[in-house]
Amino acid sequence: MRLDFQLVSRLVPQLLEGLELTLLVAVASAIGALLWGLLLTWPRLSSRASVRVPVIGYIELVRNSPLLVQLYLLYFALPMVGVFIPAFWCGVIAIVAQHGAFLCETYRAGIESIGRGQWEAARSIGLRGFKLFRLVILPQALLRVAPALTNQLVILVKDTSLVSAIGVMEMTLMAKISIERSAATFEVFVVVGVLYLILTTLVGLAGRLAESRARARIGHV
Amino acid sequence: MFDVLISNLPYLLKGALRTFWMAAVFVTAGSIVGVLFGSLAAMGPRWVGALITVYVFVIRGIPILVLMFIAYYAPPALGIRMPDIVAVGGALALYTGSYVTEITRGSILSVPKGQSDAARSIGMRGPAILRRIILPQAMRLSLPSLVNNSVIMIKATAYVSLVGIWELTYAAREVVERTLAPLEIFSGVMLIYFAVCYPLSLLSRHLERKYAYVH
Repeated sequence: MRLDFQLVSRLVPQLLEGLELTLLVAVASAIGALLWGLLLTWPRLSSRASVRVPVIGYIELVRNSPLLVQLYLLYFALPMVGVFIPAFWCGVIAIVAQHGAFLCETYRAGIESIGRGQWEAARSIGLRGFKLFRLVILPQALLRVAPALTNQLVILVKDTSLVSAIGVMEMTLMAKISIERSAATFEVFVVVGVLYLILTTLVGLAGRLAESRARARIGHV
Repeated sequence: MFDVLISNLPYLLKGALRTFWMAAVFVTAGSIVGVLFGSLAAMGPRWVGALITVYVFVIRGIPILVLMFIAYYAPPALGIRMPDIVAVGGALALYTGSYVTEITRGSILSVPKGQSDAARSIGMRGPAILRRIILPQAMRLSLPSLVNNSVIMIKATAYVSLVGIWELTYAAREVVERTLAPLEIFSGVMLIYFAVCYPLSLLSRHLERKYAYVH
């Protein structure tokens, strides 16, 4: 076995260019998925079945089928009905659709774990509706499920590699192209693997840091 | 409108068979490795636990697609001849194993210590305690997560199509290239995956309620 890392070092600029796009996809998808999942909790927790059931249907459908197939569906089927979206945004939308569904269930678990007493106490001091939710329920719920949220974001970062399948020139696709162009073989993917490892480790650490800072501010829930 | 799906259904179902056969073999293999590693990590010597921690950290930190590419390109580069499906399936099994290791380790550590103390006090020894007292309880605790993990891995088998292995998602792309009906074919394929994954998800939830730990 001979690893030719001299060759690899010449490919590094290309890989870093890919890393930049990976980061862009990851940040856009993470923000989108966190918000979309939160938005979904409202109809998901509705007491009216006509609102709740379609949302449950959507959540179960996307959670129980591969992201890759959903990505293909968006990328190949939308142009057939006259909707043209750049590959980058197709990727972001597909990741948001799937991870938003997972995150919605995580938020829901957190919200449902907050006792009735909290709602009643908040109401008794005059808080109503969205303000009550935002100021009293949500912060406690988020803190309870913080580790699960961090986990989901790590998976999201890893899932950005899939957008290579629709031609977005992020790190995985860059690596594949480099391999096919040069004689370097899997060394490139070892380097890419290490870069992903650093990235996911940083996301995990950032999640835990955010959690401990929030815990210090809000206290035990 | 869905005629095109129906006329191509036999071909797609052949792909589905391949997908679920692959999932059964590699996810089961990975789960067995994971249960073994998880038990060793929780009960075995310290240095073994440390090695297993490194394995879990590395494999879980890298996208499965990248692991598959490494597995796909590495054997020829190292002068080893093996079928692609074995190499890529191995990556899938290792990935499954890393998650199952964590699930198993966690559930073994959450069996109350009183259980092994009690077993020791009636004269049982290490391996017997593990096999007859700890593992049965731990497996019951981890079963819902194991089933849920299998769903995640069945979904991940779709990615092997990206290294050119023929299965359901690959078959779907072939059919779409031929028929130019991505909407019908890909939504049909989504439903085929759903038909297998959703019952498993329900089973996982059912097991979770059934085996909720009573202290």
